[in-house]
Amino acid sequence: MAYMTSVNAMPAVSVELDNCLFRLAQGETAALEPLYRETSASVYGFALSILKNTHDAEDILHDCYLHICSAAESYRSTGKPMAWILTIVRNLCLQKMRQAKKQYDLPQEDWEPYLESSETMTLEEKLLLKECMERLTDEEREIVMLHAVAGFKHREIAHMMDMALATVLSKYHRAMKKLQKYA
Amino acid sequence: MNYDRLESKIQQAVTHMTPDVLDSVLADCKEQKGKIAMTDTKKRNPWKRRVAGIAAALVLLVTGVFGAQRYTAGAVASTISLDVNPSVEIQVNQKEDVLAVNPLNDDGKIVVGDMDFRGSSLDVTVNALIGSMLRNGYLSELNNSILVSVDGKNTSELQARLSEEIAKLLRTSAFDGAVLSQTVAENSDLQAKADAYGITLGKAQLISRIIEKNPLHTFEELAPLTINQLNLMCQSGNLALEQVDSTGSASDKAYIGSEKAKSIALKHASLSASEIAQFEWEMDFEHGVMVYDIEFTCGGYEYDYEINARSGEVIQADRERDNDDDDDYDDNDDDDAVSSGSGSFVISAADAKAAALKHAGLSASQISQYECQKDYENGKAVYEIEFKYNGYEYSYDIDAATGKVAAYDREHDDDAVSANTGTSSSAISAADAKAAALKHAGLSASQISRYEFCKDYENGKTIYEIEFMYNGYEYSYDIDAANGNILHAERELDD
Repeated sequence: MAYMTSVNAMPAVSVELDNCLFRLAQGETAALEPLYRETSASVYGFALSILKNTHDAEDILHDCYLHICSAAESYRSTGKPMAWILTIVRNLCLQKMRQAKKQYDLPQEDWEPYLESSETMTLEEKLLLKECMERLTDEEREIVMLHAVAGFKHREIAHMMDMALATVLSKYHRAMKKLQKYA
Repeated sequence: MNYDRLESKIQQAVTHMTPDVLDSVLADCKEQKGKIAMTDTKKRNPWKRRVAGIAAALVLLVTGVFGAQRYTAGAVASTISLDVNPSVEIQVNQKEDVLAVNPLNDDGKIVVGDMDFRGSSLDVTVNALIGSMLRNGYLSELNNSILVSVDGKNTSELQARLSEEIAKLLRTSAFDGAVLSQTVAENSDLQAKADAYGITLGKAQLISRIIEKNPLHTFEELAPLTINQLNLMCQSGNLALEQVDSTGSASDKAYIGSEKAKSIALKHASLSASEIAQFEWEMDFEHGVMVYDIEFTCGGYEYDYEINARSGEVIQADRERDNDDDDDYDDNDDDDAVSSGSGSFVISAADAKAAALKHAGLSASQISQYECQKDYENGKAVYEIEFKYNGYEYSYDIDAATGKVAAYDREHDDDAVSANTGTSSSAISAADAKAAALKHAGLSASQISRYEFCKDYENGKTIYEIEFMYNGYEYSYDIDAANGNILHAERELDD
């Protein structure tokens, strides 16, 4: 027992999300809204970083919450609701890419005109995301989204992506360096 | 711009970019719920007999009408297979009229019985088959999962429709069903296996997908399992099978339940629930029976139990030093073996803690929420150390052979209010770093403008990041805070 001092206390956000999922499982649809508000940017950002197509990312955003609605009952709290949700996102993305491949219909990267025409973002934000999409490798972008947007610790990302902590850190720092130059 | 600011800008930008689809999700959710509510009204009826009766009557009616003019229209357009434990295959033509229903195993023969489905519509047939499975007890509260596999044309549409229909049928009975559905593609290897084991191509595909995820299983081992057992393995083990859609939860009512299994394991280990961490469980098929595979850690050991899911008997108990390379297959039942894994932990956990604290420039009394675990990174034994201090969470990997810091991270602790006083292992001051950068640039402090300075952590090093402008150029430097060495120097034209 010398060096196992505590079971990790769950962060407040996770408790809240767990609570929402529990209520959803009980059929309380109203619990979807707080869950959506808390997590939709992470879901969308993560899907976009994988698919690089805003239409597809929007589809995934929609499908993901629908899936959550119907699968909330099968969610078993492990204290990591966000990780559960992003696993759904990753699977939906992979499914989407496989379908596209089958139909020889590889989606184009369409984020640039989308950014240009967006009315909800400032110019500075558009430029920053343009750099994210353009200059980062896929892995770097995923790590940045998982850390900066979804709030995962580097160590958790290392576990999720099956990489050594040092690798995640160096990729992360490289990505931030690239972005710093243009931010 | 420092990382914290950049991170929050990225977060904000993505938040602003994210479209708001909540309303459409809510509408679709309600639609789903509406359908459930509609079918719920039938719930009070003793469903099993009723549906089977209705379905049988319908089949008679349909065959009565169409039986005479024998359906020859068209070739097989789609094959739908249903697996519970009975495996049944339905072939339909373009119009979804049934051409043939083939039982693929003995249980399947019982389900089909002497019903003749030729010429019936697919919906009626599926209805009758599900009814028969319920009547014969193949689908029950204890065994509620069914696999629907579709091949041929318009497969995904048909798959979605059937799985919804079947979920609906099962939901109106005394329990909730769990439906797995997938499309299948022709595959001669898989077909050969399916034929050999008397299962459908769909079930063969499901099994091969499970094996893909968990190569420890064999086809031979999994083929006799029911879909419910396979579904339990998938759902409890979080084996997300990407190409299989899943609704509902597989029933574990035939088994002792994960809580009971946990308490059996804890009793065997003489531990209480409050002492253990990282508790995980899944259902698996080992030694010819369904088992609860239970894992947890305590005191630097990883405990691994296999508990017979029906009897609660402890089949295997294993305790070993907490590491990832688990290739130790001792099968001591009562005498927990302690194995040391493949790497070597030369230094003690206390030494590792001291190394991390020294690196952070902190003393043991200053920090909180200290945790230490043994782990292997890239085959190297490391101590993973985490603690908090002053609003920051520190993570270290300490090489267990040398005591060196292998990786290091310090980040804002989400829940804490940060006080920006920073602690570091910096040996040189900010002023020294500035002087070093200026010296390298060949400039004096009075010549430069827009001087920016920030402290950062990179690859386990504390560094100073310095930026300034001179004569239309932007200079940026990274300076090692431990010794003043210039790690990176860059000058670019500022546009």
